[in-house]
Amino acid sequence: MKEIVLKKGHNIRISGVPSTDSQSLITSKKVGVSPNSFRNVKPKLMVSEGDIVSIGSPLFYDKTKPKVKWASPASGVISKISYGARRVIEKIEIKVNGKDKIINDLKNIENLQDASRNDIINFLLDANLFHLIRERPFNRVADPDKKPRDIFISGLNTGPIAVDLSKIINENKAALQTGLTAISKLTTGKTYFTSSQNHNFKNVENQIIFGQHPAGNVGIQIHHTKPIKPNDIVWTIDAQHLLTIGRLFETGSYDPSMTVTIGGSGARAPFIAKVNACVHVEDLIINQNLNKQKIRLVSGDVLTGQTISQNDFLGFYDSTLSILNDTVKRPFLGMLSIGNSSTKYSLTRAFLRLTDKLFNFTTAQNGELRPMVPISAWEKVLPMDIFPNELYRAILAEDIEEMEKLGIWECDDEDFALCSFSCPSKIDVGRVIRDGLNLIEAEA
Amino acid sequence: MQWLRDILDKVAPLFEKNGKLEILHPLYEATDTILFSTDEKTESGPHIRDNIDIKRVMILVVVSLVPCYIFGALNIGYQESLTFGLSSDWKTNLISGLLKIGPILAVTFATGAFWEVLFAVIRKHSISEGFLVTCALIPLTLPATIPLWQVAVGTSFGIVIGKEIFGGVGMNIFNPALTTRAFLYFTYPAQISGDKVWAIAPDGYSGATALSIPAGQLDANAVTLLNNASINTVFDFSWFNMFMGWVPGSIGETNKIIIIFSALFLIFTGITSWRIMIGSVIGLVFTALLTNLLSPYSSNAMLTIPPHYHLVMGSFLFGTVFMATEPVTSSHTELGKWYYGFFIGMLTVIIRSINPAYPEGIMLAILLMNAFAPLIDYFVVKSNIKKRMTRYAQ
Repeated sequence: MKEIVLKKGHNIRISGVPSTDSQSLITSKKVGVSPNSFRNVKPKLMVSEGDIVSIGSPLFYDKTKPKVKWASPASGVISKISYGARRVIEKIEIKVNGKDKIINDLKNIENLQDASRNDIINFLLDANLFHLIRERPFNRVADPDKKPRDIFISGLNTGPIAVDLSKIINENKAALQTGLTAISKLTTGKTYFTSSQNHNFKNVENQIIFGQHPAGNVGIQIHHTKPIKPNDIVWTIDAQHLLTIGRLFETGSYDPSMTVTIGGSGARAPFIAKVNACVHVEDLIINQNLNKQKIRLVSGDVLTGQTISQNDFLGFYDSTLSILNDTVKRPFLGMLSIGNSSTKYSLTRAFLRLTDKLFNFTTAQNGELRPMVPISAWEKVLPMDIFPNELYRAILAEDIEEMEKLGIWECDDEDFALCSFSCPSKIDVGRVIRDGLNLIEAEA
Repeated sequence: MQWLRDILDKVAPLFEKNGKLEILHPLYEATDTILFSTDEKTESGPHIRDNIDIKRVMILVVVSLVPCYIFGALNIGYQESLTFGLSSDWKTNLISGLLKIGPILAVTFATGAFWEVLFAVIRKHSISEGFLVTCALIPLTLPATIPLWQVAVGTSFGIVIGKEIFGGVGMNIFNPALTTRAFLYFTYPAQISGDKVWAIAPDGYSGATALSIPAGQLDANAVTLLNNASINTVFDFSWFNMFMGWVPGSIGETNKIIIIFSALFLIFTGITSWRIMIGSVIGLVFTALLTNLLSPYSSNAMLTIPPHYHLVMGSFLFGTVFMATEPVTSSHTELGKWYYGFFIGMLTVIIRSINPAYPEGIMLAILLMNAFAPLIDYFVVKSNIKKRMTRYAQ
């Protein structure tokens, strides 16, 4: 068993962390899927407004990979399909009634140990759940026709206000083991399960990782296990989605429930909830008593999530709803202030900090965009053997050859989010990395 | 301070697009954000951000320079009373020093701000806080006796040629403050090169910096020369006195204790690279030991300066702490910073020893390494690329 020790990184001490003691159950009246939130997917609808759907029945498929269909996360009626510019399908809303599930008439695989790769792939495709698997590089929905070099699953969340996975893993070991046994058949390489402790799963390589955020990011774990080379394809699965897959193989039906956290410095009462995937945001904040003008809602964590409104739905791959105060204070001569633990938060020691208390972050940028002044802020939080400074410049120059030499294949924007967070010039490094990846993807 | 905020808000429309004073928008923005920070919110990327920004980075460097100014003023007054043979207390020293520094500082900031605002307006970029540090550094590198017009010319050269023509802070190749110093050094050597009067002294008085004493001397031991100078002149060039800074020299360079404390402060806050500082001290000590070993084979007195004298003579520590560590022009890779620092220390001793015309080597050493920093980074990055390519080939 391999141990990975990271020295660089930082766990953001954000306030509004929910207590892990209790967990509420929220039944949403409405769920919604945003096809355009899946990178590089060209959706073609399979339902129209008014259609009745059950959990697991297909909503749309990807024109570029017609085998991959998206399962409905709820049973009910398609209440609304909304389009954006150029008729991009923005949202498919489902009014929930009942809990009907599609029972796969499919031959439930009787002996998973003897099943072939094709059996597993077909089972996932028939269940319309293949999009639970994503591929690197580019972090997009996996292509069932390609064979991955390895498969990686992170059993650890280190992001701000993230769901504590260790509890979920310990409570659902059997289902996870079923999922891992099935998934491990998909590659001729190895399946890696990386967590903060050894869970002794069979048929996989168990790894332990020590360190601060982004230690839980699967991209960092791949980098420290076996970095991605050009032409390599690596598949990744969220731990909670692995549980979904495990249950699918155990019961033959899709269980869309998942654990989410609702918190952040703007949340009045942070909590943990068991909800349906793609839950309506309004159902999550109903008890928060929020001043909706003065907060920002983020689907996902505050480092990598997307701004959403209360009428939107939690992103498919997101398990956190972050709430931030959307206000900016402008103290007189703030740049000269000594600072204290409740007014300033910095990875440098440029402000006085006597205690490590949780910090009330707002959406303030705390500075203006400036040209790069490299005070090693990026390097201190990037636990990768990558030169972020040079890679950033190669991407700005659109020099693909140089980008490849500097290791862009091993990168994903989420791993650079802390660099953007700590950058004194307020440069969004993560977005530039994504631009670089998009450039390569377009060339390929 | 709400009244000030109200005034700024009230005049804001004048400076916005299609306002009467639109052209001066960078000036308004700079005033607004220096007084009240920015009101910008995050749009892309992380929704929350660290409180550090370029303003804070720059202002901390300026703060770390304040003690150098205070001691500089005290020392100017002290040297003045020494050469005139007067007795004086610290208050009169301080006042007379401040009266010398004040005009130099004012001229530097006025010239620097003029160019910075002019370029911001013409090139439509925001006013960069970097000029605060550049302008705060320039007077400290100059002797108190420098004519003010030279300060203005030098600052203009440093800001325009050293920085603005490259596109401003973040794009420059050479440290603008050192560019100013180098320009003055080569253009007006009579006032700055060190063998003329540095302390404010009566006409015809020959004062000199510690480094210019052994420079060009043959078949002598540098420490003996310094000790002789201490006896024959009013200045005290003992090691301890040079460490304490009561010797003639540029305004900010003499007191090493203050520089060391400022260095510790900058390292503690995490905005300056300790690798460069330690690297250059190692480079200096290593090379000085080497020249000491070689000194019996040469008549050059500079080769006999022991490492601990090198450390306290001239501006080595000042340059290492405040100039070499400038993040934009130094090496960007962590490993590269070690090499960059080491070579600065090494070149300082080499220039000091081998070329008696330039007894102060640190300025040229840093400028030279500014030019070579990208090359160092190139090799560091190349080794990383090579490692990656070997892995790809497997």
